[in-house]
Amino acid sequence: MLFFSYFDFLMANLEVIIDFKGSISFEIMENLLNQLKRAKQFNALRKPLKKRVYGTVVESIDNIFKYAAPVEEKFNELQRPPMLMVEEQDGKFTVSAGNLVLNDQIDGLRFKLNRVNKMDDEALKRLYEEVINKETSDEDRGAGLGLITMALRTDEEIRYHFVPAGPGLTYFTMHISIKE
Amino acid sequence: MEKLIIEPTANSPRIVLDPEGRNFEFSGESRPENVRKFYLPVLEWLEAYTAAQQELNDDERTFGLQCQFNFEYFNSTSAKYILDIFKSLNAINALGIGLDIKWLYEEDDEDMLEVGQEMSRMSKLSFEYIIS
Repeated sequence: MLFFSYFDFLMANLEVIIDFKGSISFEIMENLLNQLKRAKQFNALRKPLKKRVYGTVVESIDNIFKYAAPVEEKFNELQRPPMLMVEEQDGKFTVSAGNLVLNDQIDGLRFKLNRVNKMDDEALKRLYEEVINKETSDEDRGAGLGLITMALRTDEEIRYHFVPAGPGLTYFTMHISIKE
Repeated sequence: MEKLIIEPTANSPRIVLDPEGRNFEFSGESRPENVRKFYLPVLEWLEAYTAAQQELNDDERTFGLQCQFNFEYFNSTSAKYILDIFKSLNAINALGIGLDIKWLYEEDDEDMLEVGQEMSRMSKLSFEYIIS
């Protein structure tokens, strides 16, 4: 019983604003952003905080576009489709995103995430400058500018998990709590 | 040179590059589906404009360009191209064409002010910061 009451305590005031699972196209991204813009919890925020939440949702979806493993739609549906969640608890917003990645992407992602998680804002800004000034090519699927931008919008670490999801594939999730 | 006008959409900004009217303007939201494809014509236009101005004598060049940046939001991929635009503007400024760059932000939007300050520092151009 103790577990349940503690669980109830944790879940008190938790509101789910977006809970999406499925393939994400640019059009679906527009719908999700519109859904966010209509949410009363979102509209109650002061403008800069609103933009941080909005920006984190955009970057999270962009990350799914960039890193999602190129698996067949049917496989995606059968296994685990991409997901996006936006939750609010006592005025604090958390954005979670998940998608399948190829196993050989794990090391690169872990490196980028650990790198930003270890940095304070000054170091993040220096890294931002270094990355933004690098020439990117069409093949470059993201120098990590999105992750740096998201790391600047949280005062906590970006939490992430890798869960095996079939031959050669891993389900990657990350959670970002937006700073106020 | 012909002016370039790009009308805004829900995910891409309005862009006006009008040398005759001495007005460059960027406003709205920037997270187009294909950021490179969206900004490439803008960067090419700026490159052609710089080349055309280089051909002119000092007294024939345009002087005093108003450049207004009034972004509501831009994603990190757009930021890369916006910095490239400032680098192009720096090349134009180096020709002695006086650029008056205004960076607009909403009153309590410290993030937008800060990113403007970073863009100014990285592109070595002076900005005037204005509350919109």
